[in-house]
Amino acid sequence: MGRIRILQIVVVAVFAVLASRLFYIQVLDSRYKREARNNVLRHEVQYPPRGEVYDRNGEFLVRSRESYDLMVVPRDMKPFDTLLMSRVLGVTPEKIKRNIARATAYSRRRPSVVLPMLSKEEKSRLDECDFPGFYTVFRTVRSYPRKIGGNLLGSVGEVSPRVIERDSYYKSGDYIGESGVELAYEEALRGVKGVKVNVVDVHGITKGSYNDGEFDTVPVPGAAIVSTIDAELQAFGEELLAGKVGSIVAIEPSTGEILVMVSSPTYDPDELVGRERGNHYMELLGNPRRPMFNRAVMAKYPPGSTFKLVNGLIGMQEGVVRPETTYPCHNGYTVGRGVKCHSHASPLNLIDAVKTSCNAYFCYVFRNIIDNPKYGSVKRGFDVWNEYVRSFGFGRKLDSDFIGELNGNVPTSEFYDKRYNGRWNSLTTVSLSIGQGELGCTPLQMANLAAIVANRGYYYIPHVVRSVEGRDSLDMRFYRKHYTKVDTKYFEPVVEGMWRAVHRDGTARVAYVEGLDICGKTGTAQNPHGRDHSTFLSFAPRNNPRIAVSVYVEHGIWGATVAAPVASLIIEKYLTGEVSRPELVEQVKQLNLNYSYYDRQQK
Amino acid sequence: MTGSRNNEGGRLFAGGVDWVSVGIYLLLVLMGWLNIYAAVYDEAHASIFDIGQRYGMQGVWIGVSLFMGLVVLLLDDKYYHILAYPLYGLSLLLLAATLVVGREVNGAKSWIFLGPVALQPAEFVKFTTALALARLMSTYSFSIRKTGDILRICVLLLVPMAIILLQNDTGSAIVYTAFAFVLYREGLNGWLYLAMIMVVSLFVFSFLLSPAFLLVLLIVACTLFQALGNGNWRESLVYVSGVALLTLAFYFLGRAAGWGFTLHGVLLAVSLLSLIPVAIYAYRARLRTVYLYLLLFLGSITFTYMTDFAFGKMQPHQQERILDLFGIENDLQGAGYNVNQSKIAIGSGGLTGKGFLNGTQTKYNFVPEQSTDFIFCTVGEEWGFAGALVVLALFCILILRIMKMGERQMEPFGRIYCYSVAAVFLFHVFVNVGMTIGVMPVIGIPLPFFSYGGSSLISFTLLFFVAVRLDAGKRRELPVD
Repeated sequence: MGRIRILQIVVVAVFAVLASRLFYIQVLDSRYKREARNNVLRHEVQYPPRGEVYDRNGEFLVRSRESYDLMVVPRDMKPFDTLLMSRVLGVTPEKIKRNIARATAYSRRRPSVVLPMLSKEEKSRLDECDFPGFYTVFRTVRSYPRKIGGNLLGSVGEVSPRVIERDSYYKSGDYIGESGVELAYEEALRGVKGVKVNVVDVHGITKGSYNDGEFDTVPVPGAAIVSTIDAELQAFGEELLAGKVGSIVAIEPSTGEILVMVSSPTYDPDELVGRERGNHYMELLGNPRRPMFNRAVMAKYPPGSTFKLVNGLIGMQEGVVRPETTYPCHNGYTVGRGVKCHSHASPLNLIDAVKTSCNAYFCYVFRNIIDNPKYGSVKRGFDVWNEYVRSFGFGRKLDSDFIGELNGNVPTSEFYDKRYNGRWNSLTTVSLSIGQGELGCTPLQMANLAAIVANRGYYYIPHVVRSVEGRDSLDMRFYRKHYTKVDTKYFEPVVEGMWRAVHRDGTARVAYVEGLDICGKTGTAQNPHGRDHSTFLSFAPRNNPRIAVSVYVEHGIWGATVAAPVASLIIEKYLTGEVSRPELVEQVKQLNLNYSYYDRQQK
Repeated sequence: MTGSRNNEGGRLFAGGVDWVSVGIYLLLVLMGWLNIYAAVYDEAHASIFDIGQRYGMQGVWIGVSLFMGLVVLLLDDKYYHILAYPLYGLSLLLLAATLVVGREVNGAKSWIFLGPVALQPAEFVKFTTALALARLMSTYSFSIRKTGDILRICVLLLVPMAIILLQNDTGSAIVYTAFAFVLYREGLNGWLYLAMIMVVSLFVFSFLLSPAFLLVLLIVACTLFQALGNGNWRESLVYVSGVALLTLAFYFLGRAAGWGFTLHGVLLAVSLLSLIPVAIYAYRARLRTVYLYLLLFLGSITFTYMTDFAFGKMQPHQQERILDLFGIENDLQGAGYNVNQSKIAIGSGGLTGKGFLNGTQTKYNFVPEQSTDFIFCTVGEEWGFAGALVVLALFCILILRIMKMGERQMEPFGRIYCYSVAAVFLFHVFVNVGMTIGVMPVIGIPLPFFSYGGSSLISFTLLFFVAVRLDAGKRRELPVD
């Protein structure tokens, strides 16, 4: 082969090498196309304003306020004056450096939040300086004009990595409802994020919209929500329970709408907004009285004497007791280890037993139910009782729209079989008759019981939201009556007993308000942590009730000491719009309860 | 006199000029211009004639180049022969002057500023060197087989190379190795080239393979080729297995004794010592080629260790570029950034490209030096594989045509000159395009007719048109004969 030919081949070979390599990177390998898009396209999220929350009278419970997040794309960052930035934003340079390091560790290309929730003023100060690689995005943060309902309304926070993994809607730096209404109605409140696809140059400077905005989407603002809560009443309830540990739940019996849901101690929801959120959060977590524990739906309390209503109703339905049936009481029930009672007239019928809250009477009733010969065995009789109790909404979630509801506890025969090795009887479990023992009920379940009695046998699932903007109705389950297994006709004697308890020198005289026809049942629940819990179930007026209230105050001693006055005041304020007994309000507020159980734990 | 010149001119333009090549040249220059426009496109200065912008300036340079090309065509071809040495000398003076009065741009002191015009003398020296080389090698008494003449060639090439190296412009200096292409055509010993190819492959392998593996490969290859020639397969097999066994034995013994032997070290020692019995064997069996392979083996080993040594002496950025090319280090934020971005730009062009002015990577400055050294990125991104292929094909045809022009020459001067031009073009295209797609290390040399810059465009134009003029001259004389 001649040298000329060899050189020609060399020339052609050189070009063949170049061409084949070009073919590979341009046609075969798609990696470079992807990287080119990563280079020039920036997806700028457009955050919608979060929906606002009104109370039932149109008053703002939660508002959205303008705010800005400082973002960084570490790759586009140039060395900058950290001190200047820290002065502008009012945070330490160390914090800025730390957050930038974290952002860099997450991704050099993708934007991360350096500092969330800048105020409008901070943003405009920042705009005057030039920090390449940094920019701000519009966000909304929450504000709470009434500063009420911390646990009820819940808080909004940055989405956690776990959620991001589970739900592709969320990206790092997004906000999400973390508890309460914010969590329950997250999908309605959050709206839909928009995106703006921008083209940027090598310095990260936006050069315009990609493809004339073909791939852009407009953010859809979050829906406004009208809550069932009465802000005025909620505020009043929180005021009354201030300094005490407990809960108030008030329900409109004819709809199941929750009017008040107080969990005390509460906190100012505004404290969980903004950059001090983390510190406040830790403070609240460290508080031994656990202000962030929503007692209204999560605390399991023994219902105490209020539960006698349930046993009385089951007894009548089962035919083991009639309203006129009388049982004697000798300062208590004397069979077995016995159950003590206070002194009152004896013997009593059912109505007066409710009125005076006679322990012995309901021991008889309870044992009659369990030992009913028609069921053949204690176990079977107990199962029947259990089913009745569950139909009242105990021992299970009520399926309200409120996330975080707990089941509470209604013991089963299997439970006792296990505990007593199969050797137990109605006497073993007799404390259930007066709402003690293994029973655990949430304040919401107890308020629901009040509503059931007020409705004479049925309830609507309690809920905290009345309407969502853009939706015709709530979930259909909130419009359905849920009947208990006790017929309506058996309720009147119990109602009569509750009415007498307030009006005829019964246990709840303190709750009396002229003309309001309040019906109530006190409870004094023993517990292993200290003094008895004070509880009160009530509704008013007696006919066509408009409000059913359950008040539960931990270590509040007698039902009549705190719970009954609080419930009475709530009812009065709701029905009349005013409070006629300021001295009672003062008395409740002044009442100093001892919470050594909680406060001991501080050390 | 006037009449005859007109007459000559008329014939010159009628048939002698290779219009196809000139057409390809014009096409490439135009494409280059459009791509510079696209690379630095700025909506505020949308006119391609805006001389405040690079594309406007390139337009001016194109005008100047075309004028000079025309002048070259109109001059009598004998001037190039006459002026070869004076031009060479003059350009070297200018080059040397740059060392003194030049200004540093991007670390290389290779620019002379004459008022607003920046001149890069190194670009022109390629042209004058080509002329001088052609003149030297076409001397009547010259023979490529004479050591003295080869030395002369070396001096002629090494002087400009040395000065350019002193300017710290390694890329432009390496271009002079392209003249090896011409020398091969003119009959330089083929073994030299084979040796060069081996040296280069050894160099590449010394980076890609572990030293121990490279050593094994060398032993096996040398023994194998030796056996192919001499047919002593049995002895060869005995030798290889002997080396292997001894190596393993010493290795494990050494390890057992706790002397920290490495496999590579033991193998190196054993194989070097084994050369003594091999030499004795060769003497007794009277196999002279064995000595040859023995030397080759020794040379290769020395070379690989020298490579390591030389690599250690390189500047860090050069080391990084080489490591990056071989994919050993991939620091995409640092040394590999340019090449990676360049590959992204070209790779994202796909089959048909994003269209004129639609290249995002180049337009938004992700690619560095996008109008000069990395201009091919714009071609690849906006015109895609199809466009890049057209550009490469045009270059290929042009280079082959210039080589053909050389073959058509009656005098060695013209042939050597044409081959020089082809070699310089080939080297520039291969290295420049190769670097943008990661088959060559980053060596900052321009892509002919495409890269922005007056000096390079004018010098490539001169290179090309003198070849065309010489070619036209030959044809002009044919009918007279």
